[in-house]
Amino acid sequence: MDIDKRLRELAARLAYVNDVFGPKGGANHRLMNSRLGEFLDRRSAMDPDEQLRRLIQLEDLFAFLEKKLAAELTPMDLVRIVRHPQRVCLKDILENVYDNYTEIGGKDEFSIDPSMLIARAYFTRRVGERVVNQSVMVIGQEKGHGEEFRNGGSVKPWGNAKALHYMRVAETENIPVHSFVFTPGAYPIEDYPGAAQQIARNLYEMAALKVPVICVVSEGGSGGAEAVALADKRLMLSHGYYSVISPEGAAAIEAGLRLGQKAPPALADKCARLLKITAADNLRFGYVDRIVPEPALGARVQDYDFFKLLRGELIMATNEVVGAVKGMKLFRALAMRRGANREAFEVENIFMRWTLNAKARERLVLRRRRKYRAMSRKARLDGRSVLRRAWMAVQGAVWGINSFFRHDLLGKHRRRMQRVMEEIGAEAHLVRERVGRPVRSFLDRVSGRERLASDEARQRLTRLSRPEEGLCRPEGEWAYLSPKSREDRTVTCPNAETHGCRDLWAPDLYGEFAGVCDCCGHHFPMEYEWYLHNVFNYSPSREFNSEIESVNPLSYEGFGLKLEQAKKNSGRKSACVTFETEMQDVKAVVAVLTATFRGGTVGAAEGEKFILAAERAMSKRFPLIAYVHGTAGIRIHEGTHGVIQMPRCVMAVRRYIDAGGLYLVLYDTNSYAGPVASFLGCSPYQFAVRSSNIGFAGPGVILETTGLETPPHYQGAYQALARGHIHGVWDRREIGRNLYQALMTMGGRNLYYR
Amino acid sequence: MPANKHKVLIANRGEIATRIIRACCGLGLDFVSLATAGDLASGHVSLARELGGEKALYRIESYHDANEILSVADAAGATAVHPGYGFFAEDYRFARRTAARDRPLTFIGPSWWAIRDLGDKISTKRIARSLGVPTVPGSDRPVYDELEAEELARALFAFQDEQGVESGCVLVKASAGGGGMGIEEVWNMDRFRSVFRRVRNYAKRHFNDEGVLIEQRILDFNHLEVQIVSERGGRNHVHFGTRNCSIQSLGRQKRIEVAPGFVPGEIGYYFDAAGVLEAITRNSLAMAAEVGYDSVGTWEWIVTPKGEPFLMEVNTRIQVENGVSAAIARLRGEPGVDLVSEHIRLALGEPLGYSQQDLSFEGVGVEYRIVAEDPRERFAPWAGRIERFQWAERPWLTVHSHVPRDAAYDIPMDFDPNLALAIVWGENLAQAKERGKSFLNELVLEGAAAGGGEMRSNIGFLLEKNQNILEF
Repeated sequence: MDIDKRLRELAARLAYVNDVFGPKGGANHRLMNSRLGEFLDRRSAMDPDEQLRRLIQLEDLFAFLEKKLAAELTPMDLVRIVRHPQRVCLKDILENVYDNYTEIGGKDEFSIDPSMLIARAYFTRRVGERVVNQSVMVIGQEKGHGEEFRNGGSVKPWGNAKALHYMRVAETENIPVHSFVFTPGAYPIEDYPGAAQQIARNLYEMAALKVPVICVVSEGGSGGAEAVALADKRLMLSHGYYSVISPEGAAAIEAGLRLGQKAPPALADKCARLLKITAADNLRFGYVDRIVPEPALGARVQDYDFFKLLRGELIMATNEVVGAVKGMKLFRALAMRRGANREAFEVENIFMRWTLNAKARERLVLRRRRKYRAMSRKARLDGRSVLRRAWMAVQGAVWGINSFFRHDLLGKHRRRMQRVMEEIGAEAHLVRERVGRPVRSFLDRVSGRERLASDEARQRLTRLSRPEEGLCRPEGEWAYLSPKSREDRTVTCPNAETHGCRDLWAPDLYGEFAGVCDCCGHHFPMEYEWYLHNVFNYSPSREFNSEIESVNPLSYEGFGLKLEQAKKNSGRKSACVTFETEMQDVKAVVAVLTATFRGGTVGAAEGEKFILAAERAMSKRFPLIAYVHGTAGIRIHEGTHGVIQMPRCVMAVRRYIDAGGLYLVLYDTNSYAGPVASFLGCSPYQFAVRSSNIGFAGPGVILETTGLETPPHYQGAYQALARGHIHGVWDRREIGRNLYQALMTMGGRNLYYR
Repeated sequence: MPANKHKVLIANRGEIATRIIRACCGLGLDFVSLATAGDLASGHVSLARELGGEKALYRIESYHDANEILSVADAAGATAVHPGYGFFAEDYRFARRTAARDRPLTFIGPSWWAIRDLGDKISTKRIARSLGVPTVPGSDRPVYDELEAEELARALFAFQDEQGVESGCVLVKASAGGGGMGIEEVWNMDRFRSVFRRVRNYAKRHFNDEGVLIEQRILDFNHLEVQIVSERGGRNHVHFGTRNCSIQSLGRQKRIEVAPGFVPGEIGYYFDAAGVLEAITRNSLAMAAEVGYDSVGTWEWIVTPKGEPFLMEVNTRIQVENGVSAAIARLRGEPGVDLVSEHIRLALGEPLGYSQQDLSFEGVGVEYRIVAEDPRERFAPWAGRIERFQWAERPWLTVHSHVPRDAAYDIPMDFDPNLALAIVWGENLAQAKERGKSFLNELVLEGAAAGGGEMRSNIGFLLEKNQNILEF
């Protein structure tokens, strides 16, 4: 009986090796196969003792060969391991790592999104004689061993909304969150909430979640992973991967494949290698804090030792996070430092209450901010000299102090004085009117004051109302004219068939009409310089941090050349332009993502520039405007250096908004994926230029991942407006006016002009 | 004509096209004429064929499509384009495009910036006010603020009250509007705020601009015009007298135009009519000089019953009624002035060649617009077939028409049903009226609608209004 079971296990291990390595398993796999076959053939001829002996030999052989295979795992093998149905999933961890749990927020297929699993769980700890249950909120994607309804761990937006809800519950209950990332990526659907917007919201909330968050990454697929992965401590399973995009996706982009075509496996293999997706890589980059070792070919359901280890790691990680912000930890801190090797004895002996008081919670958020702020330093090139950097730091401090005195200290008193004066004025006004009016009318009656003389009246009604304005021109001319407006040619409006638009003459269209069809209002794309000059009053002297430069941090093959080309063609060092400006007397900080530089993708340099812009806006009390001339997402060639910009930038935004700023996003042309799912999508004020598209994934990717055809204009600005993803659609010709209106009316209790 | 002979593309149809064709032939210029498929029966087509041959005629899809017209211009090798009136005549973008394209064409009309600046009523009003030219009391720029608007309206009511206007009226207009859209009258200050808000919302919705204009509404006014002619370069300006266009259909379409604007010798006015005419010509010329106007144009004025002139707008094109001014004009004492050919000649860069002293005016000219419309049915256009259209030739009569006299003519549905312009000249008003009456009575106009309905025209209306021309 026992032998049968062990044989079945061996067969499963053999199948697993075959699944993971395929033909590459080669000699090792053949050897395992033939030895097992041999044993099965001869089994009937052997007595039970013999059988057992041979079986143990066989098991040893299997273990040996597995170890041999494990020594030469390629990144793509890891991807296959992680995706294998036998890999541990969240349910297994709940069963085996925690001492007790209750699933909440749905059960199996009866859930708003079965791919997102939530559970209240606890560890039972023994402290001396006492037994304590330490509760945590477990949140994570469930791949479900091939269960169809789990959608392979690809979470729909409402699944992420559910996760966010229970994070808030954990915050209320003051218990840590343990989040587990088992997702190939989020399910790309535009709905309410939209995939991107919900991830952005999750990030925004997690950026200041006031409980410890520990995250364990097994399969970290870009945006979908980030939705639960913004954590104080990130652990990664040794056979997991954490990447900006699936290797196949990267290969498809690399090969420039059309819809429905499959990238060759060799290319996917190469991309997996180039993207640096392994745990070791990410530990080296600093995006995960610790690697949890797994058995030779990855953790599977029966690897109980692994679960035990994971339990220790989780407890220790939580202790470390809590310990760092809590007082009263003397010996335990020492022990923890010593217990870095996670010996079972040490782990179980260090007990720390995981609830935090108000002060500790503040410290926790602060530490989280610092941790992320310091990341990805090596993935960009800071062209500023040491002196300049020091000078800028001093400048920043001066602005901060200046704002503090002007707006906080003095401003507060001034406002108070103003309020008092206002009250007094209102009182006086009332009295003056009550007493004054009868007197005035009496005086008028007595003196019989003349009515307005006719000539004078005429003069008043027919003079030039504001001579200083000069003659008003019917159409204001733009300060900057697009070079496209200098070609003598006609352009056909894409809506000509349906709206009967006549062909437009390029100088009219790109000049006076600002790229808008005068018949149907279709917006033709305009270069970002048009906005810089006509909307944002850009002047090169007020640009800052232009020296921060995009690099090729992964030494991705061929990317360096492309980057050089982009820099040469655009004359910029990154896709992000940040500058200060003044729009109709309101000073603001503007960050622009330009589609002309590598499709407006966001990498480490862009993220850093954006964060610095947010910090500058905060210390100067300026509004912060993000104008997205177009973004194709996170720059895949930077791998996780790019992905990490999502939480980093969101934290900067969160900090800025919490400090009372006004953060406004304006989308143009096409804005997709990571940036929308993070620092753009989390803005409380988002607007789009007409004819732009805003979404999580492009129509091609949606078809590939979900098999669904998207209807026309699926991600159009008006659809996004209808779904509530943005809050207004602006005509290009009126952006300046609308922007000013927005600056005057929206957000921010702590702006310099409020 | 200069050595390099021009070829003029006529981007128009009907009556004006025939006149431009004749003027081009008179000036010795080549021309290209256009016609849509539905408009082949129009007189300008046969005239073009007659005077220019088959190569002078191009078929197009639409008179409204600039791309098509310009590609025809290139194909035909045209060097100048004449927009006529309507269509592209006052489209500064079209004018700019003809001048700025890789193969530039001479736009027969003013420079594009003049069309732009004077084509906009607000801008015109501001230019006028900066020169001290009288304009209708009210705002000269869009008003956005409700309190400001109310104060203006209140002042306008008070002003009209003082002026002795029995019931004052204020117009509230959407500044970005046009063609009568977004205009409302307010007769009472109490109603002002609600109307203002309604118009503002309308403007916001339709034109995406909340700006509102507030003006005095002038009732019972006479509509006068000053014909200005300037040479290219915008330095020399002369006027060709005034016209009175007060007889209009319900939709404010002119039906009878008279030159000169007033005849103080024959009719008694309550005000100094000669002084008003002098003032408006002087002011119009001053404005033309100030903006550097460089073509034929018309300054339109309204004159209140008390004899106050207000500048209304400037038409930066040759007008329908140019012939009536030409009829009374004498150049160095000689008749036979043709403003259409002057327009072309000057636009192509020739110098003016005469000054105001060389111009004099003699007699009275009256122009009747004969239109297929039904004055009893609120001047609804009538469409059908014209069977007979005949009149007796007279020395004092000029008729411009694109309706063929030797064949039946189906009035196209796509355009205004104008049939002819008849210009009558008399030594004085009484004679002109008498001659006009006899012309209208003798005119033969017969036709039938497709459904067998009776032919409708405005001849009866013209006869009725003929009795009190120029009376104010």
